[in-house]
Amino acid sequence: MWKQFFISRKFIIFTGIFIGISAAVLQKLGNPANMGICVACMERDIAGALGLHRAAVVQYIRPEIIGFVFGSLIAALVFKEFKARSGSAPLIRFVLGFLAMIGALVFLGCPWRTLLRLAGGDGNALFGLAGLITGIWVGILFIKSGYNLGRNQRTYPLVGWIMPLIMMGLFLLLLFRPQLPSGAVFFSSQGPGSQNAPIFIALLVAMVIGFLAQRTRFCTVAAVRDVILIKDTYLFTGVISLLLAALVSNLILKQFHSGFQGQPIAHINQLWNFGGMVLAGLAFTLAGGCPGRQLFLSGEGDADAAVFVLGMIVGAGFAHNFAMASSAQGPGLWGPASVIIGLIICLIIGFSMSDLMKKKKEA
Amino acid sequence: MKDNYSVVIFYSTSAAIRTESLAKKQGLAIKLIPVPRHLSSDCGICLQFNNEDKPKIEKILQDGKVEYENIYKI
Repeated sequence: MWKQFFISRKFIIFTGIFIGISAAVLQKLGNPANMGICVACMERDIAGALGLHRAAVVQYIRPEIIGFVFGSLIAALVFKEFKARSGSAPLIRFVLGFLAMIGALVFLGCPWRTLLRLAGGDGNALFGLAGLITGIWVGILFIKSGYNLGRNQRTYPLVGWIMPLIMMGLFLLLLFRPQLPSGAVFFSSQGPGSQNAPIFIALLVAMVIGFLAQRTRFCTVAAVRDVILIKDTYLFTGVISLLLAALVSNLILKQFHSGFQGQPIAHINQLWNFGGMVLAGLAFTLAGGCPGRQLFLSGEGDADAAVFVLGMIVGAGFAHNFAMASSAQGPGLWGPASVIIGLIICLIIGFSMSDLMKKKKEA
Repeated sequence: MKDNYSVVIFYSTSAAIRTESLAKKQGLAIKLIPVPRHLSSDCGICLQFNNEDKPKIEKILQDGKVEYENIYKI
């Protein structure tokens, strides 16, 4: 019976509901508003804790990110799906992760937080969502034109264990909080970085999510891609379940405040709310999955997905050091320019790694 | 098609789409579907076809030089 449940549509709905409720509850337990879970924001906080950027209000080693990788690792080991693999254009994936993070930080959220912001009543998220879908749609055009990053190869198990080991290292830094002369490890004393749910509850919830997502292949970007590309709604039902569950939970916990002005960790410049997520959506689609999915893949041995995650963390460092990330006041000084340059880079990657160029060469 | 089909698992989404268009040209009854959950794959989309078309599908994959992971009977 369990086997049937694991492959049924009920299971993806269950997963979506679990993530939606968890996000609302983690917010109640201390995480920043409409940010019970946000893969981009939380990786950005980790980058800050390590000193890759010095934005003092967003520095914390988020146990949720660690839990996602551990949960997926455990599911992959239990169900014998752990498979060390790499070699599918890792450096391109690093660049895509870097650019995806910049886009996400111009909007202020990953696809998961886009849904959670909507579920919290933040109308600005509608523009982010529209941008995300537009970015995915452009990515699909490339996929239809033969875009691919080449196949990966099976490799030594150690390669697949690198990301879980990095996460273990981060977890030790979080537990023991060493203080070095440089100031690292940095932990915010105010702002979103100082707001956090209890470590072990956050870790445990995230591990359950990682476990469920590894089994269901939950992915917000592939959900939209599958609807457009092959008219399949399996993953999409999971995403809708997440949205509705978070909405209902927020209403019950009195965390729902509708409007555009004064939304938490958000700005009202709709052009760049939209533009930032076009860039993120395109980069995620070219890399094959949303940032959550990249974490789950890196937990089951996909070293290329791990490189994408590292690209996101480094990208977060750059986004804050080079005034690309937005704040509640609006886009950073270099935010709009970086989105445009990022889009150009994505288009070059899309064109040069598809059949569009090959055909020209042959002709 | 429900009880009597197989799927080709690919490394990339575009390989799946390319094979679909090649098979469509030959008039085969095929369909792109998400990879069944009990199989694991790096690409989320696979090609479903009738078991009796297996030789034709294999020939399309070979002639089209499409790299694929495996073929599974469902």
